[in-house]
Amino acid sequence: MQRLSDEQLLEKVIAGDMAALATLVERYQHVLTGYLDRLVGADWALAQDLAQETFVRVLRQHATRGDRLFKPWLYAIATNLVRDHLKSSATRLSTPLAPEHEVWIFDEVPGPEEYVLRGEQRSALVDALNLLGMEYRTTLWLRFYGDLSLQEIADALGIPLGTVKWRLSTGLRRLRSLLASSADTYC
Amino acid sequence: MNTNDRDDLRERLRELDATPAEMAAWTPLVRQLAEWPERHITQASQRHLLSVLEQAMPLHSAVRQAIREQKPRRVTALLATARAQVSLFGLGFWLVSALITLVGAVVVLRIITMGPDQAWVLPALVLRISGPLLSYLGTIVAFRGRGTRVLELELVCLSSPLQLALARLVIVLGYDVGLGLALSLLLWAGGSGQVLALTLSWLMPLLLVAGLALLLSLRLSIRTAASLAYGSWLAFVGISTIPTFQTLLLTPALLVLPGGIGLAGLTIALLRMHAGMHRLLPQS
Repeated sequence: MQRLSDEQLLEKVIAGDMAALATLVERYQHVLTGYLDRLVGADWALAQDLAQETFVRVLRQHATRGDRLFKPWLYAIATNLVRDHLKSSATRLSTPLAPEHEVWIFDEVPGPEEYVLRGEQRSALVDALNLLGMEYRTTLWLRFYGDLSLQEIADALGIPLGTVKWRLSTGLRRLRSLLASSADTYC
Repeated sequence: MNTNDRDDLRERLRELDATPAEMAAWTPLVRQLAEWPERHITQASQRHLLSVLEQAMPLHSAVRQAIREQKPRRVTALLATARAQVSLFGLGFWLVSALITLVGAVVVLRIITMGPDQAWVLPALVLRISGPLLSYLGTIVAFRGRGTRVLELELVCLSSPLQLALARLVIVLGYDVGLGLALSLLLWAGGSGQVLALTLSWLMPLLLVAGLALLLSLRLSIRTAASLAYGSWLAFVGISTIPTFQTLLLTPALLVLPGGIGLAGLTIALLRMHAGMHRLLPQS
């Protein structure tokens, strides 16, 4: 089952194969929830709910996929759900990444100075990300967390390849400029 | 972050056509994004998600499931369905068909006794009229239930509506073509030189009337559709008897045309019937 492509697994799921569904969930639940968590502002419970709703829509709306690849289609559903959520709850840009998110940063145990330094860096990055437009955040996370190729991002967001590149470079440029200005403020 | 990861990050930035200065400036930023803290999915949350999704799994009706299971042995199933449907036609149909064929046989025998050099226009006309009459009757009998809302009944069968339609066509056309071929054989055994022309005279109109009737039955009742199809053919035959049009309409190339139209009509009608009835199949 592990060797099957996403599309083959989905075919089996549609035919009622629970084992194929378990494999698909195992393959995507973690990375999808992580992506949603980053988009909604580090609300893990909400991200899990949205991931669940994404999978439910995959099952109910499989006929709408057409000949699109599974991965970009899955992220397209997830991104649309986040957009809807942010619109409906009017939480766009007002949901900052939670402070406790910063606690998870450390894979290895840092020294006290490094701990404070990395915490400050992370906090600045969080603030800068929150100031970026949704379209830039989405594109940046799809590329640098979801590991989607440029073409897959274009398919997922329904935009041309050139726009994906433009959003990524402009997003990084703005992010850097925001971080630089926040550093100036602190200094 | 290991060397491979760093190379990967640089490669991703290179894809953006970044200048060396931009790459140097963006690399730490992208690294921070890539090293964002991870939270983990617990076994319990995965089990919970699967249990929720189990409820949302696409369900298939027993009918759809049965159709799906039938697919690998389509031809055998089709022949078995056709055999099971023979009783649908009744004795009257078989007898009338045999009678029409008998008329055809008499005509053919007449052609044989006249000899190949004699004029065979009139006997060919009889064949052109009687051949499609078989498919006219066959279509009316085979598809008489189409307008009587028998979908529910058809749905309880293991065979799909398309298979049922195909099976009935196999019976009607198989029987008609079989009878016609027997006539051709008779003609050939009698030494007539016009076997091909006469075979085309009944086979092509037969296909035309069956195809047109089925195609028109998508919009009209089967009786009206079959009558319209057969009536159109009779009108064509009538026009072709006028000496001015005779040479124009009865060329060998034009004799094949009705068969082609008939086959196209049959294909379109079957596909439309299949699509139309599948939309009505229960989803769950």
